Amino acid sequence: MARYYYYHVIYVGMINIMLFVPWILEQHRFNGAVSAMVIAIVFGTVLAYVTTSLFLRFPGMGLADILNNLLPRGIAVTLNLIGAFIWLTAGILVIYAYSATIQQFFNPDMNPYLFLLLMTLAGVWGASRCTRTVQFAQEILLLISAPLIIMILFKAIFSPWLDWDAIRVAAGYIRTPPSFVSFCAATFIFAGYNTLAIYNRLLPSGTKIRFRWITPLFCTFFLLVSFFIPIGFHGTVEVGEFLYLWSVTADSMILEYGFVYRVLYLFLLLYTALSLMFAMNTWHTAMEFIKACHPKHKPQPEQFPVPSSNWWITLVFAGLTFGYAIWTNEQRNQWVNENWLIARTVTDVLTPVILGLLILMGVRKKKSASSVKS
Amino acid sequence: MLEQIKQQFQDATDLFTDTLDNGYWHMEIAYFPALCDEHIKDGLLVPFSYRFDPDEFRRMLHANPKFAKTDKPEGWASLLLKGFVLIRIGDDCYSFKSDRTLVTEPDTTQVEASLEGPQSAFTESLDLNLYLLRFRYNVPTLTVEPFEKGNFSNTAIQVVYDRKLVNRDVLELLYKQMEKVDLDLLLSSGQLVKSLTDKSHRFFPTLLQTERPDRVASMLRKGKIAILINGSRLAILLPVRLYDFMNAMDDYYDSFWISRLLATMRYIAVFLTLVLPAAYIAIVSYNPEIFRVQLAFTIDGSRAGVPYPSFIEVFIMLFMIEALIEASIRLPRFVGSTATTVGGLILGQAAQQAGLVSSIMIIVTSVVAISNFVIPNSAFSQSIRVLKYLFLIISMIYGISGVAVLFFAMIVYLCSLRSFGEPYFAFFTPHQRDLASQAPGKR
Repeated sequence: MARYYYYHVIYVGMINIMLFVPWILEQHRFNGAVSAMVIAIVFGTVLAYVTTSLFLRFPGMGLADILNNLLPRGIAVTLNLIGAFIWLTAGILVIYAYSATIQQFFNPDMNPYLFLLLMTLAGVWGASRCTRTVQFAQEILLLISAPLIIMILFKAIFSPWLDWDAIRVAAGYIRTPPSFVSFCAATFIFAGYNTLAIYNRLLPSGTKIRFRWITPLFCTFFLLVSFFIPIGFHGTVEVGEFLYLWSVTADSMILEYGFVYRVLYLFLLLYTALSLMFAMNTWHTAMEFIKACHPKHKPQPEQFPVPSSNWWITLVFAGLTFGYAIWTNEQRNQWVNENWLIARTVTDVLTPVILGLLILMGVRKKKSASSVKS
Repeated sequence: MLEQIKQQFQDATDLFTDTLDNGYWHMEIAYFPALCDEHIKDGLLVPFSYRFDPDEFRRMLHANPKFAKTDKPEGWASLLLKGFVLIRIGDDCYSFKSDRTLVTEPDTTQVEASLEGPQSAFTESLDLNLYLLRFRYNVPTLTVEPFEKGNFSNTAIQVVYDRKLVNRDVLELLYKQMEKVDLDLLLSSGQLVKSLTDKSHRFFPTLLQTERPDRVASMLRKGKIAILINGSRLAILLPVRLYDFMNAMDDYYDSFWISRLLATMRYIAVFLTLVLPAAYIAIVSYNPEIFRVQLAFTIDGSRAGVPYPSFIEVFIMLFMIEALIEASIRLPRFVGSTATTVGGLILGQAAQQAGLVSSIMIIVTSVVAISNFVIPNSAFSQSIRVLKYLFLIISMIYGISGVAVLFFAMIVYLCSLRSFGEPYFAFFTPHQRDLASQAPGKR
C-alpha cells in the first residue's frame, strides 16, 4: 500500500509552516538560506530514497522492532527512547504553535489553555487509536484538506499582488555560504519518509514504492512556495518581521467568490486538520516507540478496542504539552524549534546509518554462516 | 403421549388434545388450532376419517415429507409451539407440519423507496423472505444456516451467505458473537443488531438493516453475510462500511454519472446537517468576521429582533424540528400532513415574524431537516441526528475552530470503528490483515 507512504510525504511537506520552518528560512534569507535550500533539496531526496529502500528490506517491521530484534537490549531501548522523544516533541511543538496561532487570529479573547486543551484532547484521541486506524484517518483527512491547501498555494502563486522582483532578489542570494539551521529547517520538508518508522509495520512484504519522483517534486514545490511566496507578498525586508509568517501571508489574499472573504480563515481551518493529523501521527509513533521498550512488547498494528496503555501514554504526552505551554514563550519556543529541527536532522541521518549497518552485519553473518556450511 | 403433553401445558386451554377413533385405529392428536392452518384437514383429518385406508395412511406417514417421526418427548413442546401437529399411532409418534403463515405476498418497500428498482420488500415471514432472496440470488452456493434465539420467543433466525465468496473469518466472528446473544424476547432485528455489536460501538451503526431483497442479494454477491429473522421485516447485513449506509439502491440502477452526482450530493448533505447549526452559532456568536461583510450584516440584521443568544435560538428551532419529525412518524398518516403543515409552515413563519428566531435560522433548520432525510438509511440518519448536537455544544464553547477539531475527531472515530473485524471507513483497503483474519479471539 505504497500510497499511504506518499500521504505522509505530502502532509509533512505542508505542515512545515507550523514548525516555523519559513520563519527560520526568512531569518537567514540574506545569509545562506537559498543555498542551504538547494543543498537540502538534493540531500533530502537522497536521504528519502536511501531510508525508504532500507526500510523496505525489513518488511512488516517498524524501526523499533528492527532495533529490538537486532541490537542488544540496552542500546535498543535507548535508541527507542530517543526516537520517542524526537517524535513527541514534534507533536507538542505543532500543537502549541497551532493553538498560539488560533489564539492570535481566531479567538483572541479566549483563555489560551482552553483551546490547547481541546487540541491536546483531539491529539490524544487520534494518537491512541491503533496504527491502521491512524493510517485510514490520515488518508481521508488529507484527501479532504490537501486539495484546498494546494488551491490556496496556487492562488498565492498566481496572485497579482505577488511581487516577482522581490523573489528574484531573494533568489539572488544563492551564492552566500549555506547556513546550518536553515539547512536543517529545509530538510524537514522532505522528512515524510520518516513515518515508515512505524508504518512500515503495515507494508506487506514485497511492497514496492514506485513513483519516487513524487517526493522531490512535491517537497521542492512546498519548500520553494513556503520560502518565496511570503517574500513576494511582503517584500524582502518586511518578511523578516512576522512570526506567524504564513498566516499573515494567507491574509494577503481574498476569495472573490463565496461566503468567506479572507483566505486566512479557510487556511487556518484547513491547517486545523493538518496540525491534528501531524500531532496524531507523531504522538502515535512516539507512543509505539515507548511501548516497544517493554520487554514483552509485540507490535500490533490492528487493535480494536485499543489497550488502556495507549490512553495513559498519550495522556502523559498531553500533560507534557501543557507543561511546555506553561514554560514556554515566543523566544523559548523559537529556540526549541530550531534545536528540534537540528536534532531531527541528526537522527534522520542516523536512522539510515544504523539500518545500513544492521543490513551489512546481517549479510556478513549470512555469508560466514554459508561459508561455514560449505 | 397426551399425558406428557398435558403435563407440560397445564393451563393452556387453547391446546387441542384428543384421541380419535375411526373404528379401525386409535390416534392421539395434539395441536394448537391457533397456530395451525387448514392443511391439517386435508393432510391429516380427511385421510384418517372418512377416506381411511390403513395401507394408504401408513404409506402417507412414511412418504409425505410433511410427516416426521418424533420419538423424543423432549422435543414435543417446541414442535407444538411452532405449529406442528403431534399424532401417535400405536407406539410411534409423528409430527405433521401445518404451521399457519399469514403472509403470502411480498410487502412493498416503505422505508427504502426506490424510483426504478423493484418494489417488493421483505415480509414478517421467514419462508417468504427466503423465497424473495433465492429468487434473486439463484445459485447453489447460497448457504442457509438456521439458528434459534430468544429464551422466551424462540425466534427462528437464518444466516445466509454465499459459500464461495464469504470471508470465513467474519463468519467465525459472527458465530462467536451469536453464541453470546442472550435475549428473552427477540422481536425485531434491531435487538439482534444491538446484541451483536459490542458496547464500544455507540454513535454509528456497524450493521446494516434493510428491507430490500435486492440490496441483500447485491451484498451477498460481495461476500457479505445476511441474517433473516422470523417476524421482522428487516434483514441484517454484515460486515458493512459507511458507504453502504449512504448508498441507495437506485445507485445501482441509475446511469453512472447520475448515481455519482447523487452520492456526492448525499455526502454534502450529511456534512451540512452536521455542521450547519454549529456553524451558525459559531459565526453569529464567535467569529462573524469569517464571512464577507455583506453576508455578516445580512445575518446580523435578520437577528436584530431576536432577544437571546444564538444557541438558544438554535436549540428552540432544533427542538421544534425534532418534535415535528417524531410526531410525523408516530401520527397516523392522515393527521401527519396536518402536523407538518402547521408545524413547519405556519409556526416557522410566525416564529420568525414574532421575532423569536431569525429568518436565517429558519433556513438553517430546514436545510438541516431536509439534508437529514437525504440519508438513505434510517439508523445512520439517526446517528447523524444525534451527532449534530455534539457539534452544537462544541461550537458554543470554541466557535468554528472547535467545529473543525470535532470534525477531525469524528473522522478518526469513524476510521477506528470495525464492523466484524473489517474496517468501517476507509478507501479501497486490501482484505488482508483485517482484525478478523489476524486474531480471531480479539475484537
